[in-house]
Amino acid sequence: MKKKLLAILLVLLVISTLFAAGTKEAAVTDKEIVLDWWTWDPDMVEQNKTIMATFEAENPGVKINNTMVGTAEYWTKIRIQANQNRLPDVFTMSSGYLEEWAKAGLLYNLDGFIEKDDTFDVFYKSIFDTNKATSGTDSYYAIPFALVTTVLYYNKDAFDAAGLAYPTNDWTWDEFKSAARKLTIDTNKDGKIDQWGYWFYGRYAHIEPWVFGNNGYLVDNKTMRFAPDKNAMDAIKMLTDLVLVDKVAPAQRDMTSFKQQDVFPQGVAAMWIDGSWFVDILRKNLGDDMRWGMAKVPTGPNGSKDMTYGWPDSYAIAPNTKNPEMAWKFARYVAGEGIDLDVYMAGKIPSAKKLAEDPLFADPKKQPGTDMNLLIEQAAGPMKNSYTMGWSEWRGYGGSETLGLNGTIDAIVNGHSSFEDAFNKGTKNINSVLTRYYK
Amino acid sequence: MAGVSYKWHGKLTPWLFILPTVIGLLVFRLVPIVSSFYLSFTDWSLLGSPAFLKLGNYKELFGSREFLTIILNTFQFSCIYVVGSIVLGLALATLINVQFKGVSFFRAAIYLPVVTSAVAVGIVWNWMLGPTYGVINNIISAVGLTPPYWLGDMKLSLNTVAFVQVWKMSGYYMILFLAGLQNIPSETLEAARVDGANPVQSFFRITLPMLLPTVFFVLTIAIIDSFKNFELIYAMTKGGPGNSSNTLVYDVYLNAFVYYRVGFASAIAYILLIFVGLLTIGNLYIRKHYAQPLD
Amino acid sequence: MNKNQLIAFRYLLIILVTIVYIFPFLWMVSNSFMSDKNIFSVPPKFIPDLLFSDTMFQNYKDVFTKYNFGRYTFNSLWVYSLAAFGQILVCSFAGFALAKMKFRGQGVIFSLLLVTLMIPVQVTIIPEYYLFLRLNWLDTYLPLIIPSFLAGAFGTFMLREFFSQVPSPLFDAGIIDGVNAYQMFRLIYLPQASGPIATLFIIAFMNNWNDLLRPMLYLSDRKLYTVTVALSQFQNQYDVKWNLLLAGSVLSVLPLLTVFAFCQRYIIQNTMSSGIKG
Repeated sequence: MKKKLLAILLVLLVISTLFAAGTKEAAVTDKEIVLDWWTWDPDMVEQNKTIMATFEAENPGVKINNTMVGTAEYWTKIRIQANQNRLPDVFTMSSGYLEEWAKAGLLYNLDGFIEKDDTFDVFYKSIFDTNKATSGTDSYYAIPFALVTTVLYYNKDAFDAAGLAYPTNDWTWDEFKSAARKLTIDTNKDGKIDQWGYWFYGRYAHIEPWVFGNNGYLVDNKTMRFAPDKNAMDAIKMLTDLVLVDKVAPAQRDMTSFKQQDVFPQGVAAMWIDGSWFVDILRKNLGDDMRWGMAKVPTGPNGSKDMTYGWPDSYAIAPNTKNPEMAWKFARYVAGEGIDLDVYMAGKIPSAKKLAEDPLFADPKKQPGTDMNLLIEQAAGPMKNSYTMGWSEWRGYGGSETLGLNGTIDAIVNGHSSFEDAFNKGTKNINSVLTRYYK
Repeated sequence: MAGVSYKWHGKLTPWLFILPTVIGLLVFRLVPIVSSFYLSFTDWSLLGSPAFLKLGNYKELFGSREFLTIILNTFQFSCIYVVGSIVLGLALATLINVQFKGVSFFRAAIYLPVVTSAVAVGIVWNWMLGPTYGVINNIISAVGLTPPYWLGDMKLSLNTVAFVQVWKMSGYYMILFLAGLQNIPSETLEAARVDGANPVQSFFRITLPMLLPTVFFVLTIAIIDSFKNFELIYAMTKGGPGNSSNTLVYDVYLNAFVYYRVGFASAIAYILLIFVGLLTIGNLYIRKHYAQPLD
Repeated sequence: MNKNQLIAFRYLLIILVTIVYIFPFLWMVSNSFMSDKNIFSVPPKFIPDLLFSDTMFQNYKDVFTKYNFGRYTFNSLWVYSLAAFGQILVCSFAGFALAKMKFRGQGVIFSLLLVTLMIPVQVTIIPEYYLFLRLNWLDTYLPLIIPSFLAGAFGTFMLREFFSQVPSPLFDAGIIDGVNAYQMFRLIYLPQASGPIATLFIIAFMNNWNDLLRPMLYLSDRKLYTVTVALSQFQNQYDVKWNLLLAGSVLSVLPLLTVFAFCQRYIIQNTMSSGIKG
């Protein structure tokens, strides 16, 4: 009896390994070009199929294979591909890793294509230049397909209730602080603040907008060391004072039971600065339950009006791709030419002008309505970001959110450390990381 | 093991029994482990090949104050987890070692957190332990005391996560102890009761001594499991605030999958391995010399 | 306290403990009937808004139809049942050999097994990945099943402990009867072990079921995904679909509970005393 069971089991095992081997690609003819395309957005699987079908129809003899790797494992898997010299022909590349990959020779140099390309002004060139600057090289290595910036979200209902005028794109720090004061309210007088004027913690999307908005910098580009200038420190001090002195924003440790992006939609804070992609999420979760608007991050006393903190997501091409011309054509296609506005999360700015300038981009029927035009202005203007090699380690992001600069600022607002002590310790730690990457 | 002083089986027979294990051990366990050991002497970001560093990673670790904090956190977490798991697991097993219709429901309920994902458990506890709106702090305030920052206070965060981990896994240790309790003959307990022993006496004089082998088994497993706390820390505190709830396993994850310093992460992992190894060997030694199974 | 009061007290304690343990799961179930925006609301909404409405099972429906959860549950079920079964096979043989037989190197093998048990998966996953890459097993279920049919550290350890404690009269009886090693194992020791084997099945099944890292790295074809990978798909770069994630989490617990309920009666059978009496 037992032997029979074992035999059945063995047979099952063999059968299972045969059909469980996943779908291998069908045999390819000599003339057919096959491109591998790696993306990381699980929501886009169906739309990707349509996009690929349209491209294949327009380009007979070409087949595209889309591999969608979940966000959490994308970087590990694609690094292993790079290690094996088997990078997909076209793959998603983020601003955070652009420099490391470009300098390691893992991205196809696009200068040749761009020079020869005379229909190139369908894209915003400024976004391409941001990528070039981020890569720390003199060449173009990535085609941006979506730009995100940081914006000020404000609760119109709360502003109305407090009798305040809505933020404008010309707001100063003082106007911001004065509004925050009037918006910090203890509605039922029980000693606990029920609505805060503003909410932030050490997160990159919460701090950098103010630093760059005051024309400051965090990392000195010549020495590649963490050495924030006075403008940057003024901005950070202004922010930490919001918690410690002005008491218009809560400390990070008071908010541990919230998901950070729930604080604003639930009305716990009347203003919030974060990525422009939250337009999509706010629309889905809030609907018309709350009226809200979007404005430019207030400019600091030393800031210039048109500087934006933003960064694109891009597509890159494998350095050893067998079909560079077709890969470039496809990458251009999925970077803007062949796709529709509904592929984009609302609040992400397409790098293709015709999509960004589509009237539905700033659809007046959906919140925040015409405020969205701010994003188009930002896309066309100069941009900065704080990415360097080793960024996730020194900045503190995702799994390392409680460390790095993120942790340093949280320690200040949580009262664990004084401003000077925190920055002394933080600077030393951050520079030990930067020294490893930039000798 | 008393009684056998001669081989009662052929010379090759044991190897037939153990052949799959040896193959599996060599190919699927030892090869990656030895590779990891080699990697701990290199610098590798997964791009390109590992660069040999000699002792560089270990030097960096031993010179780091943060690393000392992480080691201490790891030990603290382990102590809480091991003691808590054994005490709670044994208490639960004893409590639920009764037969009545529907007892399976209660056992399954206690086992439930073990099989619920750490993400879900982390979210629920995060919410219950919320500083202002959390259920637990609301009760504490209602009684008139100042509620603490369970997850936001550097002194409390590690203990809080450890407590949640003990709670989550206690059902697992409960079934291990339950299996052990079944081996205690009911006749012996019955005889003790007839002789006039009360439940407490019979527990400490009869049950516990007979349970000692199980206790040592569970202790070994608990020590090993106490270092595997990555998912809950990721779900609840991400090692914060500062490094106050960062443990060796979480640090390995950070270095391997966030910073992409795979060589450095392997070095951390080997230090972890040494600690766990020492504790486990210590446990086995104590057991060998002080607690023989009763025959 | 008299005997009845003690019994009543015990049952009361069981009920209280159960409430504490089941509460988070109830929270999960309750929130799986909420629309996404209400899940983490402050002040907390305890009554799910979708309950008793027309779209009560909307989250569950979406999880099955839009996200193919049924397929993934089926995948997880048969892959991990197979793996757990493999563990029972290999660990009972190995545990018996280590407990009752004498052979050169048994100490070394046992120590090595313990060593492998101590190492968290994050440590060895990258070399392990490269190993499967070389073996060309990527994008199949082989990395998830084959190792379980060869070596099992926890199971071997547990069964070795168990077999060591089987009372010697049974063993001596076997010797006197002149059984060979396989018969000793199969006819005398194995029948005693239904409790630990059932426990091992639960534990092996559960550990594998909740494994996220391995299926995530080794499987690329969406048709092959397991439940844990499917759950992780509810998170993208910026947002988590909590309503779907919670519905999926509730669903993923059910098979585990079923396996547990089925196996736990084997754990409870009082096997030892009946063995000695005979």
